[in-house]
Amino acid sequence: MSLINFGHTHAGRNARMNKLLIVDDEIEICEFLKSFFEDRDFKVSVAHDGVRALEQIALCQPEVVLLDIQMPGMDGLQTLKKIKELYPKVKVIMVTAVETQEKIEEAMRLGADNYITKPLSLEYLEKDVQDKIDILAKGS
Amino acid sequence: MTVIFVVAYKNTERLIKKFLEKYFFHKKTFAQMTLMDLAGDLAVNLDLQEIANLVVNTFGEVLQLKTVALLVPDPLQSHFEVASAFGWSISASKKIRLASDTPLLKKVHQTGPHVLMRGPVLQSLSWQEANALARDLDSLQAAWVIPLFVKGELVGLLAFGALVPDTVFDQGDFHFFREFASAIAPCVHNALVVKRLRQLNFELQDSQSQWVQKTKLNAIEKLAAGIAHEIHNPLAIISGKAQVLLMQKGSKQLDPNVQDALNTIVKQTRRAADITRKLLMYSQGSRGPQEWITLEKVLDETLSLLAYQASMDKIEIVRNLDPELPLFFANMQEIREIFLNLLLNAVEAVGSEGKIVVELKYLRDEELIEIVCSDTGKGIPAEHLDKVFNPFYTTRHEAVGLGLFVTKQIVHRYGGSIRVESQVGIGSMFILQMPYTAEVVKSMGTERAGAQVLGAGRK
Repeated sequence: MSLINFGHTHAGRNARMNKLLIVDDEIEICEFLKSFFEDRDFKVSVAHDGVRALEQIALCQPEVVLLDIQMPGMDGLQTLKKIKELYPKVKVIMVTAVETQEKIEEAMRLGADNYITKPLSLEYLEKDVQDKIDILAKGS
Repeated sequence: MTVIFVVAYKNTERLIKKFLEKYFFHKKTFAQMTLMDLAGDLAVNLDLQEIANLVVNTFGEVLQLKTVALLVPDPLQSHFEVASAFGWSISASKKIRLASDTPLLKKVHQTGPHVLMRGPVLQSLSWQEANALARDLDSLQAAWVIPLFVKGELVGLLAFGALVPDTVFDQGDFHFFREFASAIAPCVHNALVVKRLRQLNFELQDSQSQWVQKTKLNAIEKLAAGIAHEIHNPLAIISGKAQVLLMQKGSKQLDPNVQDALNTIVKQTRRAADITRKLLMYSQGSRGPQEWITLEKVLDETLSLLAYQASMDKIEIVRNLDPELPLFFANMQEIREIFLNLLLNAVEAVGSEGKIVVELKYLRDEELIEIVCSDTGKGIPAEHLDKVFNPFYTTRHEAVGLGLFVTKQIVHRYGGSIRVESQVGIGSMFILQMPYTAEVVKSMGTERAGAQVLGAGRK
């Protein structure tokens, strides 16, 4: 009985845990973001390019994706387009080192839910991620 | 020895001429000699204005005329205008313009280098043609016109009228006029060519300096884009790791010194990123969307950002608005940046106590929007006045020195100008003027009408 109960609690906590995918070709950036959000009880997965990002979304089904715009290979905008095509419910926050008006407009047109510039304000980012999750929770 | 001889010879020649003039020719011939001497002098002069002044004044005085005007073609050869006039007010003479298809110019092209006499020429024409030609001559107040030709090209007209209505010139006079014309025509022609060359040279220099400026900006843009990209990632990592430590949950309280250091790291990385971001934003030629904006509103928003600092420092900020300020077609962000930079600058200059006045005006006649920002601050030394708009010019050690550079770039994008007047210890005044673009307004058509109604309703 107690064993089953324990299992239930564990499974329940897991289900409540919010899932986040961080996509950036800078490994160090992924690392500090991962530790920051894990500290806040997120289940965090990481990808360093667009193709891997799509794989991770299929695998982990995150609610929110933090997506770098400048990446080698399939860049952030192309990845964004694919994500919105395949997983329209997933919220995507674009992360950019250099924002040009055109890139930001393009991202918004492709359905990005917000954008944030580097260096990041983690306080703002946390609030924004939480906002997106709240919106999703209300919607479901 | 030879030199002395030549000089002596020249002088002797002159003396003989003068002698002949006095004893063998009548008084009028003396006038002719004076004029021919003048023609000789002109040959070494290349300044059109000087030549024209000399010709009309000498001609007018020597022949005791009422009016003389020298007309030359404008650079585009579309019409003839007055280079200099005798017996005319300057403003009246400047108004005279002969289009290249006016009856007088057509007639001159027909008759060639002959002197045109009002009476005979009008008699030779049908009354319609005569009327048309008479109008031209009347506009020049001229009874005679000497055309100046160089190798078949009409390079000028010397039009003149006499004091006494029945003044007549004889055959000899006309012969002389032709000779005089052929002597001064090349001088006028040369001067015209020189003038045009100078103008072209000026235009060339102008476009060259514009090109240099543009190249500089392009270089800054490339550099800024490169730096921003390469630097923002490491900055994000530095700042991110510090923030993770600061915002860690469940661990014990950080040492205040460590906390202080981490906060500084976060703040300073943000500052470093702002530098490249600003540089990039304003060296980029691309512009944000433009719309009809209420300058007053943008100004007030900007002022509210500064209100706290100003109140802390006993700075009085006064806004002085034109009650009929129209809406302005611009990018909101850019206009906000202009106000912010001007005001930040003023607040910095004023220090702990003083006054800042921002004026928004619409100069109806010039169709310009004028922004004037004056302060009672420390002022700018005269030797620095031409540098304040340069990138990286600053007097504060913790500032970047891009504010006014950026402001100037924006103002230039709107086809406007910015200048500064300043006196050390008294204050500075920045004056911006941007055209209230009539073309945009026209092309906006009905949209503009709606916008103006809105603008009126706001009052």
